[in-house]
Amino acid sequence: MTLNVLVLTDQRGGTLKTASRETLSEARRLVERAGGGRVWAGLVGSGLDAILPKVQEMGPDSVLLMDDPVLKDFQAAAYAVAARAMLEGIPSPRVILAPATAMGREWLPRLGAALGTGVATEATEVVPDPEGGIRIRRTVFGGKATVSVALPEGSCATLRVNTFAADPRPGQAPVTRVPVPEIPKEARAISVESTVEAPRDTVDLTQASIVVAGGRGLKGPENFHLVEDLARILGGAPAASRAVVDAGWRPASYQVGQTGKTVAPQLYIAIGISGAIQHLVGMSNSRCIVAINRDAAAPIFKVAHYGIVGDALAIVPALIGALRAERP
Amino acid sequence: MHLIVGVKHVPDADTRLRVDPSGTTYDPDGVKFTINNTYDEATLEESLRLKDGNPGTTVHVVSVGPPRAEEGLRAALAMGADEATLVEVGTGTELDPLLTARLLAAVIRGIPHDLVLVGRQAADDEAGQVGSALGHYLGLPSAGYVTGLEVDPASKRLHIKRYVEGGEETLGMEFPAVLSILKGANDPRTPTLPNILKARRKPLRKVPVGDLLPALETWPGGAKPTSRVTAFQLPPPRAGAKILEYTSPEEAAGKLLAALREEAKVL
Repeated sequence: MTLNVLVLTDQRGGTLKTASRETLSEARRLVERAGGGRVWAGLVGSGLDAILPKVQEMGPDSVLLMDDPVLKDFQAAAYAVAARAMLEGIPSPRVILAPATAMGREWLPRLGAALGTGVATEATEVVPDPEGGIRIRRTVFGGKATVSVALPEGSCATLRVNTFAADPRPGQAPVTRVPVPEIPKEARAISVESTVEAPRDTVDLTQASIVVAGGRGLKGPENFHLVEDLARILGGAPAASRAVVDAGWRPASYQVGQTGKTVAPQLYIAIGISGAIQHLVGMSNSRCIVAINRDAAAPIFKVAHYGIVGDALAIVPALIGALRAERP
Repeated sequence: MHLIVGVKHVPDADTRLRVDPSGTTYDPDGVKFTINNTYDEATLEESLRLKDGNPGTTVHVVSVGPPRAEEGLRAALAMGADEATLVEVGTGTELDPLLTARLLAAVIRGIPHDLVLVGRQAADDEAGQVGSALGHYLGLPSAGYVTGLEVDPASKRLHIKRYVEGGEETLGMEFPAVLSILKGANDPRTPTLPNILKARRKPLRKVPVGDLLPALETWPGGAKPTSRVTAFQLPPPRAGAKILEYTSPEEAAGKLLAALREEAKVL
C-alpha cells in the first residue's frame, strides 16, 4: 500500500520545535513501513524563511508553505482552515500527523472535526493499517493502560514528544507556497495581546529530555535550589510535586502530575517525592526514572528504575559535585 | 452571563483496572468511580468563581455518559452549578472523542451559552479533543491550555492566559468562546451538606442519545465514531527500582551516574 503523510509542524517565533523534527522523521518511517508514499511538511505561520532549511533537513519530499502575517499567532480555528487548504494538493490515501505539543493537541482535533475524520492524541507508536489508514498506540489512565486505535484513511494523530527519534536526512525538498484561504469570522474574534517568553537559558518542562523534580522530602524552600542546580548541570528542566507548589515553594508552572503537566522525558529524577498516584500519572511514561527518597517503602520506588534510599540533602549535593568535577 | 461546563464521569485514579472480556475497554465491574474527574473539578471551580464575581451568571453542567454519570452531575450541582443535562448513552453505545464532542455540541446549541469550558482532558482516555472540536462544531473561537481567565461581561470580552511551550500568551477573545482549562490555580470547593440537599432539587435533564443522533447524520463525521479502539491492555507490572547500595553519598552518586550512562544510556 502507499500512504501519503502531511506533517503539520509546530513553530513559534521562527523556531522549529524539536518535536516537529521527531514527527517529520516518524512520518518518513511510516511511509517506508507502508511500502510507499510521500511526506509533505506543512508550515503555517509568518516569517518562516529561516526555518525552511531546518524542515528540509528532515527529509520530507515536499514542503507546503503558508506564510502570511495574518497567521503569525497560532489560533486553532485559523490554522485548521489553513491545514485544510494544504490537504487539497495531497492525494489519498493520506493521514495528518503533528507533534503532541500544546499547538498540535489543539490544532488537530479542530481540523479532524472539520474533516469528519478520526483523531488520536499522544501516539507512542504509528503503523500503517492493512485495512487503510493507520493504527496507533497510546497510553491512557495516566499510564496504567494502553490502547490501540484504528484510524481510517484521512485521519489525524499527534505524536508524543521525546518518543520518536529525530533522524535528519538532508534533502532539498521543493517548496510550494499555498495561498491563505479565507479565515473564518470566529478566528478573527481572538487575538494575542502579549507573549511572555520563558528565559532563554531555561528548558521547557514538557519538551525537556531530562526532568529533575523535587518534593517535600527537600524539607524547605531553601533547599529547592538543589533541584534547579542539578537540572541545570544536566541540561534539563526543574519540576515539583503538588505538595511543593501548594506549600508555595515554587509556582504552579513547576507542577508535574494530574493537575499539573504531563511529562515523558528520557530521564526523570524524583527527589524527595513519595509518589502519590496523582504525581505518577504525570511522569510514569518517562523512559528512565530515578527515585531518591528516605522512605524505602515510598510508592515512587515501585515505578522507578533506579532507587537511592537516603537523605536527598546529602545525595543530591554529592551528585552535583560529581557532575561539576567532570565539567570544570 | 451563561456558562456551560462539560464534565465526564470517570474511574477513580486509585482504582485497579481489569481488561473487559471484549479486550477493548476496562471492566466497569468493581471499579470505583470518582464524583468528577480532577480536570473537570478545576474547570468547574473556575466557572463558579466567575459566577461568584458576576451576579446573574448561571452555570450549566453537561455530560455524555451512562446513567451512573448522573452522580457526577449531582456533585457538580452540589458544588454550586445551577442546572445539569446528561446525554444518556447505553453501555453498548460506541463513542469516540469527536462523537462525544458532536453530542455535546448538539445539546449546547439548545442552551444559552456565552462561554463553554472543559478540562484539558478526561482522566480516563486523556484524549483532550473535546474543547477544540466543540469550537468547530459550535462555530466558535477556541483556546486550549488556559491557565487563567478574566471576563468583562459589559464589553463581552475575555482575557485569558494560556500555556505555550517556552512561555505564556495572553489572548483577548470575544464571547461566545470555548476554553479548555489546563489547571485552575484553585482548590475546588467542597460541597456543604445544605448544598448537597439543595442539589437534589436542582433541575437535571436527561436526553437519550437516540434523540440527538439522527441530527448528527449530516455533520462532518456523522452519527458514528470515526476512530475505534482495537485493544485495551495493561502493561506488565514493573519490577520495582534497582536499589543502589552505598556507604557514602559520593559512592551513591557515582553508582547512579555509572548506571545512567552504561546501563540505561540516558546520560
